[in-house]
Amino acid sequence: MKKLLISFALAALSATAAQAADAARGKEIFMKVGCYQCHGTVGQGANTGPKLAPEPLALESFVAFVRNAAATQMPAFSANMVSDAEMADIHAYLSSIKPPPAFKDIPLLNNP
Amino acid sequence: MGKSEAGVNRRKFLTAAAASSAAAVAAPQATSEANAAPLPTHALPPSAAQMEAEIGEPQLIPAAVTSAGPGARPGSDFMVDVLRALDIDYVATNPASSCRGLHESINSYAMNKKPELLTATHEEIATAMAHGYAKVSNRPMGLLFHGTVGIQHATMAFYNAWADRAPMLVMSGNHMDAAHRPPGVPTTHAAQDPLALIRDFTKWDDQPQSLQACAEAMMRAHKIAMTPPYGPVAISLDAHLQEGFTDASLKIPKLTRVSPPSADIEALKEVARMLVGAQNPVIVVDRGARSHRFQPLLVELAELLGAPVVDQMGRQNFPSHHPLNGTDRARGTIGAADVILGLELADFWGVVNSYSDVAEPKQGRRLKDSVKLVSINSRDVFMKANYQDFQRFQDVDLAIAADAEASLPGLIEMVKSAITPEFRSAADKRKTTFGAAGIKQRERLLSVDATYGWDASPISSARLSAELWAVIKEHDWALVSRDVRLSNWPHRIWKFEKPWQFIGDSGGAGQGYGLGAAVGAALAHREHKRLVVNIQGDGDMMYGPGGIWTAAHHNIPLLTIMHNNRAYHQEVMHVQRVGNWRDRGVGRASIGTTIENPHINFAMMAKSMGVEGIGPIGDPKDLGPALRRAVQIAKAGEPVLVDVLTQPR
Ligand code: HEC
Repeated sequence: MKKLLISFALAALSATAAQAADAARGKEIFMKVGCYQCHGTVGQGANTGPKLAPEPLALESFVAFVRNAAATQMPAFSANMVSDAEMADIHAYLSSIKPPPAFKDIPLLNNP
Repeated sequence: MGKSEAGVNRRKFLTAAAASSAAAVAAPQATSEANAAPLPTHALPPSAAQMEAEIGEPQLIPAAVTSAGPGARPGSDFMVDVLRALDIDYVATNPASSCRGLHESINSYAMNKKPELLTATHEEIATAMAHGYAKVSNRPMGLLFHGTVGIQHATMAFYNAWADRAPMLVMSGNHMDAAHRPPGVPTTHAAQDPLALIRDFTKWDDQPQSLQACAEAMMRAHKIAMTPPYGPVAISLDAHLQEGFTDASLKIPKLTRVSPPSADIEALKEVARMLVGAQNPVIVVDRGARSHRFQPLLVELAELLGAPVVDQMGRQNFPSHHPLNGTDRARGTIGAADVILGLELADFWGVVNSYSDVAEPKQGRRLKDSVKLVSINSRDVFMKANYQDFQRFQDVDLAIAADAEASLPGLIEMVKSAITPEFRSAADKRKTTFGAAGIKQRERLLSVDATYGWDASPISSARLSAELWAVIKEHDWALVSRDVRLSNWPHRIWKFEKPWQFIGDSGGAGQGYGLGAAVGAALAHREHKRLVVNIQGDGDMMYGPGGIWTAAHHNIPLLTIMHNNRAYHQEVMHVQRVGNWRDRGVGRASIGTTIENPHINFAMMAKSMGVEGIGPIGDPKDLGPALRRAVQIAKAGEPVLVDVLTQPR
């Protein structure tokens, strides 16, 4: 868990580093360009796409994946569809998503 | 000449009787009292008025509706007797004048008991009801429709039933005789071959020309529907047959018990040898469970072999939490196999090969050539051309054309006698190792994956499934919808153990199945007082929302949870995918695919049809209390709907 938190912090750092990345704008873009369709509105993941948040990949790997996804089950988004600045916003949004409640604090999942 | 059994023939009889009585007048002496054939007491010579009606000016009223002599009874009363002999409890209908004879007989001869009529607001809903009902009760429901417009409405639902192997007896009305049928609408609704439209995706159909032939056709239809592979069958009932009259001399054939096609013993021996010779035998199953007998048999076989089971979830085939359930690990489990036993698979090709839906589709065999493949499939016994639900051709090492459920006891015996002590200990080890990995994986799913988006609004699939489980698990419950569109969370969280807890999906993937099938399934569950849960897509709901009314009208308890993602979401993703391939279309995948502006208020919709509607609920905190209330209503014997604003998947 600790490890996860650290990588989350690092990811947040790299997002902050991206110039003027804006989480609120990122959320809008995430919805508009359709990332939510397969990954869920808070990037929680589904059988259509893995979870993206919290702790998204580091910005560079994140963008690289999206640009080159054509080889995978995900359709690629070129810079023509989502610019680098917009990708940084999306990344800022995903980085701003708080971790979910701890498993031990969710009785419904502990006691199925 | 005895009294005819149908109006059409009755007309002939009346004409002939008139001719012979005219002859009698012309030559009275030629006929002695002694050798004059006595007239049947129930077929008195026609009255002058009847004669006039029959041989005078052409009448708009068909001959069949003229009243019968004493002792005769309506042809459609006889049809009711046949339905009773078939042990049909329910006939779902959307009323149709070409069926009015049989409809009236069910009302006033059967007194709406055995069979009882179920009123549906669309033939597609009625057919989906029969589909869901059959999968729970293992019995066919009757359907009563117009032969043309009704059948046309119901076609897609027949296709679903065909693809999903659900038995049902379709009865459709028709006015065959152009010279006697009413003009106008009834003629527009008549056809020479009304069932041609659905012949490609029904197992059999007929259009009998007499009541005797009708009894035989319905018996044959039932037998064909209930012989694996199950499927829908259809009989076109001529309106003159329904509305004409019959004497008592007709015979109803007895209900034939069917022994399903079962595997040849030598073939089973060979399969047993292959399985016992394997290092990693794997069982893949789709529509295995025809009845409640299947699941315990599959458990026994899997445990004997220590073979993981990948359940493609066409039915309740295998307990979701069994240590050998490898459904959530299908890829790896199948990838590790050296022998695969496929039971009632709709698509064996898809098990062996991969296909990537990318700009330039990639496909190819994903398993090593050395992997041995065995199939037991009743579809091999009966298949039709045209509609491609038979899927890509997969070559296998041994294809056994037989019903899997009927063949499992024999296979189990053969495996038992082939097993060696070494295999036994290897099988037990496999079971332990596979089971332990399964527990780990499940723990991860719950402790990590399910928590993501836990507090999100719209509500996550994992949250919805966990909240539902908390309120149903103490009851005798059944899920009557597929959960793949909820990312399979119900199957990950709920414990599916009882053979009636799941019935698979539509088969043909035609929209408009969900609610109707759920209502039909809930009807079959009703006598067992089960808590029946339907997780209902919003797009699918809008094809046949009238099912809500039918549930209310017939007091069918059913808990419907709207999986309201406000879209035909599969299509949103499809359009997005193609847009990406073409490097365009940002923000336009929603055009023509979403169900927003305005949002549909499903709770209000339910209320408008006499069903308690709760919601819409978008805040996960409100979900638990709403579900608890809804369960109370369903347990009190009523349908209820909770509208939940959900994540897409
Ligand atoms: C049509 C469905 C779909 C859409 C739309 C989609 N994705 Fe994906 N995404 C996937 C799938 C499927 C994968 C897994 C691909 C694989 O590994 O084969 C994936 C993987 C990813 C990954 C890699 C995650 C990891 O941890 O490995 C990232 C990052 C990602 N997507 C970001 C995005 C972003 C950002 C958008 C919107 C611009 C987006 N996706 C839109 C389906 C989709």
